[in-house]
Amino acid sequence: MIEAAAQLVVNAIALGAVYALVALGFVLVIGAVGAVNFGHGELVMLGGMVAVGAAALLPVDTALPGLVVLPAALAVMAIVGLAVAGIAYAPLRHAPPTSVFIAMIAVGLIIQHGVTAGIGPEPRLGPPLVDTGVLQVAGIGLSHQQLATIATAAVLILAVHALLQRSRFGRRLRAAAQDPEMARAIGIPVNLTIAVSFALSAALAGAAGLLLSNQYLVTPTDGGMLMLKAYVATVIGGWGRIWGAVLGAFAIAVFETLVAAWASFLVAEALLYLGVLVVLAIRPQGLFGEAAGRRA
Amino acid sequence: MSGPNRRELVYFAAAAIGLGGVVGFGDAYTVRIATLVGIYAIATIGYQLVFGRLGLLSLAQGALFGIGAYSSALLTMKLGLPAPVGLVVAGLVPAVLAALVAVPIARLQSHYVALATLGLAQLVLLAATNLEITGSANGLYGVPPIAVGTIVIADGLAMLGLVWALVLVALVVSRIVLAGGRLARLATLRDAPHAALTLGLNPVPARLGLFAVAGAMGGVAGGLQAHGLGVVSPAVTGFEVMVTILTIAVVGGRGSALGAVAGAALLVPLPEFLRFLDGSYLVAYGVVLLAAIVLVPRGLDGRLRERFPSRPPRLPAAATPARRRRGKALIVDGLRKRFGGVTALDGVSFSVPAGTVVGLIGANGSGKTTTLNLISGLERPDSGQIRLGGVPLGDRAAHHRSGLGLGRGFQHPEMPDGLFVLEAAAVGTRDRSGAMAALDRVGLAERAGALVSDLGAAELRRLDLARALATEPEALILDEPAAGLTGDERAALAVLLRRLAAEGLAVLVVDHGMDFLMPLADRVVCLDAGKVLAVGTPEEVRRDPAVVAAYLGQWVAA
Repeated sequence: MIEAAAQLVVNAIALGAVYALVALGFVLVIGAVGAVNFGHGELVMLGGMVAVGAAALLPVDTALPGLVVLPAALAVMAIVGLAVAGIAYAPLRHAPPTSVFIAMIAVGLIIQHGVTAGIGPEPRLGPPLVDTGVLQVAGIGLSHQQLATIATAAVLILAVHALLQRSRFGRRLRAAAQDPEMARAIGIPVNLTIAVSFALSAALAGAAGLLLSNQYLVTPTDGGMLMLKAYVATVIGGWGRIWGAVLGAFAIAVFETLVAAWASFLVAEALLYLGVLVVLAIRPQGLFGEAAGRRA
Repeated sequence: MSGPNRRELVYFAAAAIGLGGVVGFGDAYTVRIATLVGIYAIATIGYQLVFGRLGLLSLAQGALFGIGAYSSALLTMKLGLPAPVGLVVAGLVPAVLAALVAVPIARLQSHYVALATLGLAQLVLLAATNLEITGSANGLYGVPPIAVGTIVIADGLAMLGLVWALVLVALVVSRIVLAGGRLARLATLRDAPHAALTLGLNPVPARLGLFAVAGAMGGVAGGLQAHGLGVVSPAVTGFEVMVTILTIAVVGGRGSALGAVAGAALLVPLPEFLRFLDGSYLVAYGVVLLAAIVLVPRGLDGRLRERFPSRPPRLPAAATPARRRRGKALIVDGLRKRFGGVTALDGVSFSVPAGTVVGLIGANGSGKTTTLNLISGLERPDSGQIRLGGVPLGDRAAHHRSGLGLGRGFQHPEMPDGLFVLEAAAVGTRDRSGAMAALDRVGLAERAGALVSDLGAAELRRLDLARALATEPEALILDEPAAGLTGDERAALAVLLRRLAAEGLAVLVVDHGMDFLMPLADRVVCLDAGKVLAVGTPEEVRRDPAVVAAYLGQWVAA
């Protein structure tokens, strides 16, 4: 009984860590350009596929296969993020936010169905980060994969935190998000900052895809669900608030794991969407309102 | 409703050629595709009302399509009702559902509209996939064909005829929905929501009505598909249907009903040419959608409008000059307003007697615009009273205040897209000759037949004033009407405002400095940090030691 409960907690934390990574990438773009990246879930899926492909190139008994391909997933997806910014955002800089939203729906469609057309709809198994072993602690079996997932996600999230708080890029990003005109006027390269945000967002998506790909496999249709969770997380955390979204994502994962254990995954999902609708009906401005410098 | 213009004739000619070709030369397969084009055209004509006319990115139209499909299928299969009854219910159920969610959804910010509608669609999809009554993941097989008495409309040309007759019905309904000045009012509600409220436009009925009509069209389209195919599966509620409708709407031209038909004709056959992609034809929809939104943001219909511009409206003679009215005094008493921790107004009281011009001055952030927002009802005071002609405005919704005699002009006027100047000026009144007279008063009469998008910044401000004047206000509140005007324009504006006051109106004018108000205003109220610093004649306020101290004599020097 206690073992089962402990296992549940570890599951929830591991899933929460990955959802947090997905939401962090999602909300970075909202922060930078005020646009919802409707294709963000597809970027996560694509990252998983990149990891599957890269792992297939490794010698059969490579140690730490997942960690070895992590830099590749980050790099490839950063380039994809730049491409998305160049193709779907840059030409629409001055268009209404709805246009960017629709362009991002199109990007999601292209990635999802492009992958399906290219390699088929089957689920694929990604590499384990470390190995497939299990650590026994006081009668509780903790898989190495889950522990490594939590550690990897934590390192990435802390690194982004440091980047945003301590670096020049972080200050520029925050300035550009709050008032792009003013930022431009004081000499901040706003377009470059936005491009880097897209790259960083997609790289984080890629890492999340890799982390999910071993335990949950990766299927071309996975994206929509993941994007929706990140979207809901930003409502829970306050629109545009980066760390609010990260915490929101964590909360969703805990909720989902517990409700799925108590009832079913279906019930968890239905309650999640119902919950969002109730929140928006009662508090149209979101659970905690909008971050400063809001935009539609 | 007027007769078809040249742009519309292009659509009808293309449709006649296309349908004629299908009927004359097409095989059974081509007829099926043409039927499907009609079904998606109906769903998208409805979607354009919400997406285009209300300007809301709803992602629920696919789910409403699916609800219609399941409604009609279940009624005919489980209850044995005739298919025409099923189709009517297929329209009614989504219409009622859409109307129920319309108001809470429409007041959300745009990024939440998409999420809320997507959440609804996900719930519908979960229900369709998991409930026993909907046949779970397998769906429902053996949906009977449409039959009226002994005439069975199963397939082929009969079904094609029925579907395209309903396309025509949808076009006519869409036209009626937008007739009688409603198109201009909807455009104003969409693009100039704050101005719309101060012009007396109530967004709620428009949202309810358009959501309901859009839901009905989506549902009927879904019902037609269910009976045509004989099968309903959870996929009809899925995202694929939604993105197909969205792509058709964007490619056809946002808001355009005829563009929706053209978009459907272009896009629905596309998967048939992409069979080598198996189920992944949506990659092509993605490419088309991206290309359309980036390269042709106004879609096919926008292109046709450039080629065949709409004729300007018939310009009526201006109504006879306004008779002398009894204006209404505007009195504010103890207005307080806090935003978060910031006190914007801290007990502001003053009055604007009928027949006078009062100037409201103060530095940036002193609370001038907040005062106007409270008077016009765009924001609610924390405490304090506002009276117009003795009637308290505090509990009245913003869109009721125009009817009570309040007119408002904006510092940065929002303007509707795609309207002619006369149409934009007439949104707050049923009387176009009154609107023409208002345009005449602000010196914009000769531009009445121009497009709003062709006006310059100063002209837009005059149009903003004209549309408020067209509502025949008894009190007028204006936010920096003289900013950015040339000396001649300022003089003309001052003459107009004096004349309005002479007719009996109470006129409240916000301005930054004294030079415009000095010869114009009977009295001046000076705000500082949310409090009234000084009241009096312009000369008294100018010499007031507190005012001079607060502004370091900047106006004295001016």
